Amino acid sequence: MRKRSIMWAGLVGILAVVVAGSSAAMTGKLGKGDAKAQVLRMSVGAEPPSLDPGLASDTTSSFILRNVMDPLIVLGPGPALKALPGAASSWTVKGANVTLNLSKNVRWTNGKPTTAQDYVWSWLRTISPELGADYAYQFFGIKGAEAYNGCDPGKADCNALRAKVGVKAAGNYTLKVTLTSPQPWFIQQLSHTSFLPVHRATVEKFGKKYTEAGNLVTNGPFKLSSWKHNASLTLVKSTKWRNASSVKLSKVFLPIITEATTAQNAFDAGNIDINDTGVNPVDIPKYKKTPFWKVWPALGTYYYGFNVKSITDVNQRRAMAISIDRKAIIRYITQAGQQPAKGFTPIGIAGGITIDKNSTMPTTAKLTEAKALMAKVKNPKKDINLFINNSPGHIKIATAIQAYWKQLGLNTEIKVMEWKQYLEFLGPPPNASVDVFRLGWIYDFPDAYNGLVLWKCDAGNNHTNFCNKKFDSLVDQAAKTPDADARAVLYQQAEDILTGPKGDLPIMPIYWYTFTALVKQNVKGYYEGPTSDIDLTKVSIT
Amino acid sequence: MLKFIVRRVAWTIPVILLVILMTFVMMRQIKGNPFQVTERPVPESIQRNLERAYHLDQPWYVQYAYYIKGVALFDLGPSLVQRNQDVNDIIRQSFPVSLQLGGFAMIFALLFGIPLGILAALKQNSILDYASMAVVNAGYALPNFLVSTLLIYFFALKLRDHTGFPTNGWGGWQSWILPSIALGHAPMTYFARIVRGSMLETLQQDYIRTARAKGLRWRRVVGLHVLRNSLIPTVTAAAPTLGYLIAGSFIVETVFGIPGIGRYFVTSISGRDYSVTMGITVLLAVIIIVANMVVDILYGYLDPRTRDERV
Repeated sequence: MRKRSIMWAGLVGILAVVVAGSSAAMTGKLGKGDAKAQVLRMSVGAEPPSLDPGLASDTTSSFILRNVMDPLIVLGPGPALKALPGAASSWTVKGANVTLNLSKNVRWTNGKPTTAQDYVWSWLRTISPELGADYAYQFFGIKGAEAYNGCDPGKADCNALRAKVGVKAAGNYTLKVTLTSPQPWFIQQLSHTSFLPVHRATVEKFGKKYTEAGNLVTNGPFKLSSWKHNASLTLVKSTKWRNASSVKLSKVFLPIITEATTAQNAFDAGNIDINDTGVNPVDIPKYKKTPFWKVWPALGTYYYGFNVKSITDVNQRRAMAISIDRKAIIRYITQAGQQPAKGFTPIGIAGGITIDKNSTMPTTAKLTEAKALMAKVKNPKKDINLFINNSPGHIKIATAIQAYWKQLGLNTEIKVMEWKQYLEFLGPPPNASVDVFRLGWIYDFPDAYNGLVLWKCDAGNNHTNFCNKKFDSLVDQAAKTPDADARAVLYQQAEDILTGPKGDLPIMPIYWYTFTALVKQNVKGYYEGPTSDIDLTKVSIT
Repeated sequence: MLKFIVRRVAWTIPVILLVILMTFVMMRQIKGNPFQVTERPVPESIQRNLERAYHLDQPWYVQYAYYIKGVALFDLGPSLVQRNQDVNDIIRQSFPVSLQLGGFAMIFALLFGIPLGILAALKQNSILDYASMAVVNAGYALPNFLVSTLLIYFFALKLRDHTGFPTNGWGGWQSWILPSIALGHAPMTYFARIVRGSMLETLQQDYIRTARAKGLRWRRVVGLHVLRNSLIPTVTAAAPTLGYLIAGSFIVETVFGIPGIGRYFVTSISGRDYSVTMGITVLLAVIIIVANMVVDILYGYLDPRTRDERV
């Protein structure tokens, strides 16, 4: 009898532990939608890795930061994406010297004003070698930043280098920045979340826990009211924001749903108003028939790269590039309204029409022309190793392209690798067995420079072995050209070297990306900008 | 018994050290840079800064020593990917959820599996037996993700006005039911089979016949003698099953959007978040070891023959 009671006690004990755990458990419970209360419920596809502007480098973190903080600059409508005043009310640019005049009514959620000193301290913190910020390179255009970031605190005194970084406060509301060279895109680049300030006293008080809800001090239209890790985040309207009267939403509930199917279910059940996690390609046709399906052009390019040391003849590269049917790939495989890429630079970027004017990537396959080009190739590379990373979408596209290339008499072997191993395998320089590889590029800032610079001889993302000094000098020259039209012409010449009629074709762009979401009809004003900029101040529930 | 427990606890230390060493070595064998998340290359100076921040610039044995020291102090280090979080935070937040989910699934499995097995055994070769074993076989063959998807489709979407079950999340009893069934259905069928098998075996034993011959009521024979002896294999199977339910709930957690540890475990491997992978591995190793130890102790109570030998 005693034994039995011990066993029962044990069982009851286990039950008690399990149930008691519930109080410690995080909930993913979805709030009830209430139109009048202006509550938006929107799924996000990942737990934000960090809400520290210095450390955030992904789209989810950037989206949240963009809405709890007040960026210096906001971008106007595309394709110009002009820099408009944000926390900086005005600015002047004289060559490499930039002066930003800060708005005096930008306040932290604790009521204190956001000052130029806040920016200086925050930027230096991000650049510092100690923080280990992935996006410190966003600041490398600022004089002395790269040297300071490269300093080893264990071996040298980095303070001298810190003092030399070209960012200074002139009074409370004037920020002076000295760049390494004139950079026409710098003002637009300031819209990036890396340039947001942090609240020094909070960072110093809480250390790396300062980003938790309850600790985080922000200066934007919303504030973080709760962050249940891996489960959900909640933002509430900040009444202290300089333009708070224009903000309609009172609360934004953001459940973290990583799986597209799960997000679709939540959307179908009416538990969320916006599914920003994604939609499975197989379900896209179903949603396309509904008013919920939304597509916005993105600044990004999906492309295949050639190892020019392996496929040496440009005629073969061109034949391969024009033999594929981009329209069919988009229509039947990707399905999300992507645009067939005429060139590498997305047409939606400022000056895009000029830049891609001579680019030659066809929308549909030009098989006859491709075969004629192949016939000219003296020693064609017949057996092609096509490397892609492991994802169902990439595999489907590769399989289609394998079939297109078969028509040119090429035997393509598709080699699939896990993402991180794949990145290491590609180099640069790429592993010698790579003939063709897949990658994509999403722009950090809306200037063609950000994409074209990848194909310079020494660029860390140039996995093609392609090196053209003329290309490099054109890109460098464009970087020093403040006039947007003149710059576009230089970019056009550089783009021609890549994808023009006489281009070297180290890459074959396939399509330009889009952003998609499912949005309930009672949500108004929701829009995803080309740099994945989502501004919740414009959103309302009707 | 105390001596037995002390000896078992002492043995866990080298086992855990070995688990850490093996995970440590294996994680570094698979290539990949934890700091390169997208195709965007990491500039050299930034890579160096990051490696320095996480001691990855040190030789492997120094890194291992740092880690062991951390584990001894219950500090599993910072996450390489969740930049503002420590592994301890991640475990503290997500482990209770997995523990709950695993616990509920286990309760479901035992609550339905054992009676199903008993029923099948007592009515051996009857329609009831065949029917329940058909259900069990079918249930065992159905993978987690399919059961999850079907449950969501029928009970959270089609019948949501009647059930009130959410499609995802983990908060409140309504959100616990579907995932617990999805996770618990496989072990439920497993338990049913074990119980049925061992019941049938026990029913053939001489002491059962003796008990019946002595005029003991059938219900009492089953309740006291058959069931108790038949449950020993179930208890043996229960501990590793509980470990599996807590650690192996990745798919169910993903489909239901549950913020448990299984999801972190898998994403940490693909993201090369070394410290999170190792931290969770250590935790799971401890769980499995403890679960097995609990079985050994329970075993002693259930089957007195094993007790003396073990002590």
